[in-house]
Amino acid sequence: MLALAVLSGARAQTTVSGKVTSADDGQPLPGVNILVENTTKGTVTDIDGNYSLSLNEDENVIIFSFIGFATQSVNVNGRSVIDVSMESDITSLNEIVIVGYGTQEEKDLTSAIATVKAEEIQKTPTSQAMQALQGKVAGVQIVSRGEPGEGPKVRVRGVGSLQGNSDPLYVVDGMFFDNIDFLNTADIASISVLKDASAAAIYGVRAANGVVLIETKSGSYDQAPQIVYDGYYGVQVPQNVIKMANSEQFSQYVRETGSSADIAFLNAAFQRYGRSRVNPNVPDVNTDWYDEVLQTAPIQNHSITISGGGENSRYAVGASYFDQEGLLKHTRNDYERFNFRSKVDFDATNWLNVGGNVNISNATRYVADNAVWFKTYFAVPILPVYDDQNTDAEPFSLSNAKILGYRNSQNPFYDLLYNDDRFKVTKILANFYADFEIIPNKLSFKTSYNYNFGSVNQRTVDFAYHDGLSPVLSGIKKQNTTSLDEIWDNILTFNENIGAHSFSIMGGYSYRSETADLLFAKGTELNPSPNPDNEEYWYIDNGAIDVGEVGDFDDENNDLGKFYGTSYFGRISYNYDDRYLIYGTFRRDGTNKFQEKWGNFPTVGVGWVLSEESFFDVKPVNFLKLRASWGKLGNDSSPAAVGKPTLVGTETAIDGILVLGNEADVFYDLLEKWETTEETNIGITARFLEDRLSLEADYYIRDTEDAALPIVLPLVRDQIRRNRGVIRNSGLELALNWSDNISEDLSYSIGGNLATLKNEVRDLGGQPYLNAGQQEFRQRSIIGEPIEAFFGYEVEGVFQNEGQISSSGLTQEFIDANNIIPGDFRFKDQNNDGVIDDLDRVVLGSYLPKLTYGFNIGVNYKNIELTANFQGQTGHSILNRKRGEMLFTTDTNIDADLADNLWRGEGTSNEYPSAAGLRKAYNLSMSDYFVEDGSYFRIQNVRLAYSLINRELFGAPMPDVRITLTAERPLTVFDYNGFNPEVADGIDRQTYPIPGIYTIGLNIKL
Amino acid sequence: MKPIKFLKYIMSLTLASLIVVSCDDSLNEPLENEVVLDGVDYTKTEDMFRLLTGAYAKLYELQWETYPLISVRGDDVDPNGDQEPLLATDVYRYDRSFWMYNSAWLNLYSDIIDYHANMEQIALYKEYAPNPAEADQYMAEIRVMRAFSLFQLSRLWGGLLIPTSSSTDELYTTEVSSREEVMQHISAEMDASIPLLPNVHPNQRTDIPGGITRYTALAVKALANLELKNYQEVANATGQIIESGAFTLYPDFYELFKIPGKLSSENILELQYSDLGQGSGQNFSYLYEFFGPNDYAPAVAGAGGGWGFWEPTEKYIKFMLDRGETVRLETSVLFTEEGIAKIKSDPAYATLPAWVSNETRDGDIIGKTDGSPNPRSIFSSGKHYLPSNQLTPGRTVYGTNKNFICIRYAEILLMHAEALTQGATSSVMSADAALNEVRDRAGLGDISGVTLEDVLNEKYAEFAMEWGIRFYDLVRHNRTEELDYDGRNYVEEEDKYLPYPLGQLDLLPQLAEYEQN
Repeated sequence: MLALAVLSGARAQTTVSGKVTSADDGQPLPGVNILVENTTKGTVTDIDGNYSLSLNEDENVIIFSFIGFATQSVNVNGRSVIDVSMESDITSLNEIVIVGYGTQEEKDLTSAIATVKAEEIQKTPTSQAMQALQGKVAGVQIVSRGEPGEGPKVRVRGVGSLQGNSDPLYVVDGMFFDNIDFLNTADIASISVLKDASAAAIYGVRAANGVVLIETKSGSYDQAPQIVYDGYYGVQVPQNVIKMANSEQFSQYVRETGSSADIAFLNAAFQRYGRSRVNPNVPDVNTDWYDEVLQTAPIQNHSITISGGGENSRYAVGASYFDQEGLLKHTRNDYERFNFRSKVDFDATNWLNVGGNVNISNATRYVADNAVWFKTYFAVPILPVYDDQNTDAEPFSLSNAKILGYRNSQNPFYDLLYNDDRFKVTKILANFYADFEIIPNKLSFKTSYNYNFGSVNQRTVDFAYHDGLSPVLSGIKKQNTTSLDEIWDNILTFNENIGAHSFSIMGGYSYRSETADLLFAKGTELNPSPNPDNEEYWYIDNGAIDVGEVGDFDDENNDLGKFYGTSYFGRISYNYDDRYLIYGTFRRDGTNKFQEKWGNFPTVGVGWVLSEESFFDVKPVNFLKLRASWGKLGNDSSPAAVGKPTLVGTETAIDGILVLGNEADVFYDLLEKWETTEETNIGITARFLEDRLSLEADYYIRDTEDAALPIVLPLVRDQIRRNRGVIRNSGLELALNWSDNISEDLSYSIGGNLATLKNEVRDLGGQPYLNAGQQEFRQRSIIGEPIEAFFGYEVEGVFQNEGQISSSGLTQEFIDANNIIPGDFRFKDQNNDGVIDDLDRVVLGSYLPKLTYGFNIGVNYKNIELTANFQGQTGHSILNRKRGEMLFTTDTNIDADLADNLWRGEGTSNEYPSAAGLRKAYNLSMSDYFVEDGSYFRIQNVRLAYSLINRELFGAPMPDVRITLTAERPLTVFDYNGFNPEVADGIDRQTYPIPGIYTIGLNIKL
Repeated sequence: MKPIKFLKYIMSLTLASLIVVSCDDSLNEPLENEVVLDGVDYTKTEDMFRLLTGAYAKLYELQWETYPLISVRGDDVDPNGDQEPLLATDVYRYDRSFWMYNSAWLNLYSDIIDYHANMEQIALYKEYAPNPAEADQYMAEIRVMRAFSLFQLSRLWGGLLIPTSSSTDELYTTEVSSREEVMQHISAEMDASIPLLPNVHPNQRTDIPGGITRYTALAVKALANLELKNYQEVANATGQIIESGAFTLYPDFYELFKIPGKLSSENILELQYSDLGQGSGQNFSYLYEFFGPNDYAPAVAGAGGGWGFWEPTEKYIKFMLDRGETVRLETSVLFTEEGIAKIKSDPAYATLPAWVSNETRDGDIIGKTDGSPNPRSIFSSGKHYLPSNQLTPGRTVYGTNKNFICIRYAEILLMHAEALTQGATSSVMSADAALNEVRDRAGLGDISGVTLEDVLNEKYAEFAMEWGIRFYDLVRHNRTEELDYDGRNYVEEEDKYLPYPLGQLDLLPQLAEYEQN
């Protein structure tokens, strides 16, 4: 072929020129590579996207290629002007993928990395970038949280730790984070999830839960200044709000319980509030507590970015504002965040690039007392919000269920009105780098310093009030936490191509220090007494300092203290003729957190691009790569272990005087090392039918060894942590995408992904099981079962009549002792010994979904774009802990489904016990009555966008404008008896509801 | 260009060398704020005292569920509320998977192991102590604490594992000791400790007022021997306490259980609690709300009530009324209007003494007063009641600042009398004298020719709601028919001990083996 090009050199020449623009926004594209097919002849476009190229007579095809855009071949056919509009192509195999401490082309990858681009992230109206990934990346489970400012729970390929957190490591422009709640989603250029060990191993001891790499947006060289406004405004609507029993249903239920105390409370409500004229058997109150506390709340985000660049520099400067109100009325419950950022890069000389990046985030979060959710669920409907007769109550005459005889005041308005909890969160992320090009295009050395300062000022204020029976004193607690993390990375990179061999070698050293400090104090009985109108007096100094609540250390907070790490790492990637790929990394990590200081984390990966082989001739397949990798990762997130007996301070009072003492704590944790995860991943990457269909498939087995776990000791409550556990996660991930243009005006895409997960405990240091959760709602990790599975009795039904009880196989003694009557549960007697006891307990389910899936469709017609995402998960359970609360407090409301469907005589229900039975300890034993199917399907996001590009207004060019209408989570379908099927740990006790969000957005480019 | 090229190499080299001299040393930095034992300087013997006060802190941290489980089974008190393990245990329906069993077991045993750990530390100081006897005394005090925990465990479960050090490794192979062996072990432990302890009334100690002295050890020894029916040993140990003259009955039975009774002349072992005299801020307290009435109109506005979980039995109240008791009934039982009506509904008790009231002498009104039923208890334990006017102003939680008495001189006197009626002899005091001293304080006349019946009745009257004393008395003397009140059915032997907690059976197979034999 080369010979042909040389031979053709003598022929007559023509010139072809034109302009290359982006199909997305019509902007000129500078730097586009233009190559004459089958030659080495080519050029690049200038700053305005223009090019000019001379062609020999026999040269007819020119190829336009540019990173991030689909490569185009154009037949010249004698034309002299050819303008090209390039389609962006996020699935392009030439896409540069961010990997740890460097980049790779996607076609060279041997590991499982999923990348999500800015455009996709910005579809979701949220302050939390990871939320935008829900249902989009196979193998990444996102569990939303509804509370303003709260990031979602993210799990990459299951849970591999019993003790440490299962959050992935976030690396933002080189800096390590536990979460990225401070980032403005519009500032993110891309999110790459390093799913398998081979991809993540370069992050060594921090990588076992997966690594999420985030790159913030930069300007571009040779780019005219661009000012972009991007914003949306919308409302959050509480949805799937659970229906609770109304006063009529509640009164009926109470009478059916036969409980004299509860009937007395009901009678007290009659006396106090009168009888309903509609139904005289019901008190004249019918409070829908959810209706009283929930509201539709606004959400908005506005950002401005100014970016551009010259020949030797590029910049991006931006500011953003995000505000999200909470769903609760009558209390401060919102999240507000201001971000400022600036990112600049300079080519100082031809061998030195320097740059810096600063991101300042200031957020204020008002958190409503979580007890509100709990009380709203449980408050009896026969209690009004306000009670004029409760004259002693102040400042508001809120009702108090205690006056009716109930154990607690129940009214959630005490928690709404009488406290105020504020977090002021500041984060300053900065990094600076210098990149030396020692041998041009071959050897470079980059040193970068990353700095993260964080400060959290928490202020919790309790207002003084009187509930009609007793006064509650005022108090203020303040807690300031500051943290300073630093990372210094030094990386040497060497690239070389020798014929068909191409190498890339990287070696590096990193030093890491993480320190955090805490100070807290509390004052009580403040004067002036705090109230919502005198915030200027909310100081501890105005009250008595509570000496028990002053301190600068918190045993529970694992992040406090000083932690150091040093690491040496390297990577080799080798590509032979684009057919054979070999990849390896090695990291040696040191930390002061555990007894063993050093650990090694290697990985190898291989790839075989079948489609590049000469024998491969399957027409519809454009690209086919088989990948396999193995790697080892660490998880150092389990709390640090002291490894030796310690002295613990004690306090007591002797003869009325505070006396300090010491207690020798001989039950110490000994974690010689971090948890290690070994993972094997095999995968296929393929493109079919002219790149229109893409496939990524992966199967992995991920074993966590040396998992830190508590060893239960005989006789004592203390448990000691040791590295003894083995946990396996395995699964299959599949992602398929199809996109096509039907005509110039109409294109569409359709895609889907799914992931299976099998989580299995394989060793607990010789122990057959390990208990977790509350005693009454037992969760247990058992060898061969998922981690912390729900554990209890299986409900076979409800006894309908005496005959069923006597023929049930239960012994008469057991029936008598538990007073089993019709309307009680029939639990499965697993060992058929005639009694239902601890030996009859079985695994009832796991909170980890066995299958997560998502799919999306997109249609573009001219200037209109419609996209829709769907997602769901199945195969997991939720513990309906709200219903379980009956075990501790019987005098509360119940949900309407339960009230309506209680057993009320033979044949009425085989699902729920009778009202009286609902109060018996026998029926409230942990069973699958409480453990419900958590499956759900959701329309995640529907978005309609209309673009106005290259328009003119009154003769002047109009900026490019894009208007979007978004519905986030408009519909969720599930069977679970709660309002929210997304419960991170599977225990639904007081979960913030997850709203549907409807927004209108505007994007303006100048 | 040349100088710049030179600069490029210089800069690269400088940075590369920086890396080499980098900071691996920081990996050896210790964790923050952790005092490791191998760094302790045992020559600083003034720190030894802190290990003793640390042990007292443990002793005083009585978890709320331990005490009710120890005390629930007698005919003096019934549980109320929603704690199934207590309700079932009260009617002798035991279940090895009840959380409260495991919890009480762990609470008491964790204390024992912690006591060992602190004793082992004190032993290390002893070598350097200017006065080694001080170390011995501290260790002896902790031995008494350990014995008291072991005693309560054995009352509940009978046979036990006896730990000998803070290491739990040995326990996997430790044989179960029978109840008799446990009690003998306790007795021997006390014999070893007695000579090392101060020979004063606890409230006369200046370093730890209300701490453990020789008499505490003697009292624990007497309790253990009473369980063994070694009555002569009981008579000897109690006799020594009586003979010392260090103890007297506190004259005001009502106030004994309240603020004035703190560290009184009668108290031999009490758990100390305090609000440090401050109206807010740090506070050490037992969870008295468990006992408190759930409807409560205190004399001092704002004082809180309780949960109504602990209800004296009608049987006890009628027993006391039959005896013509006054101050002891008034002190032991808080009446509600509903409770009074309930007693009166029995024709035999249609008229009650005028002092029986739903208002305490301190003016606190107990229970509902509008004729509606009380949701839980209609009687409450007066021994766990602190009048609202004795609360430190500012404190509102029921019982704040109240001590918790474990062993008092009245029990010594009545154990002494019990032992003598069972054939033991004493030169210190007669059974009649011992019993009458207690009766005298209660405002009752003397009796003579005291029998076991008299002693047990006196103990019933005197110790209701205290540490299950009544239950263990009835079981010891096979008078368990008394336990079959209100439809209960106590089965001898079968119902004497609780089953070992499920979690412990899984860890220690020898317990299951012992239980089956």
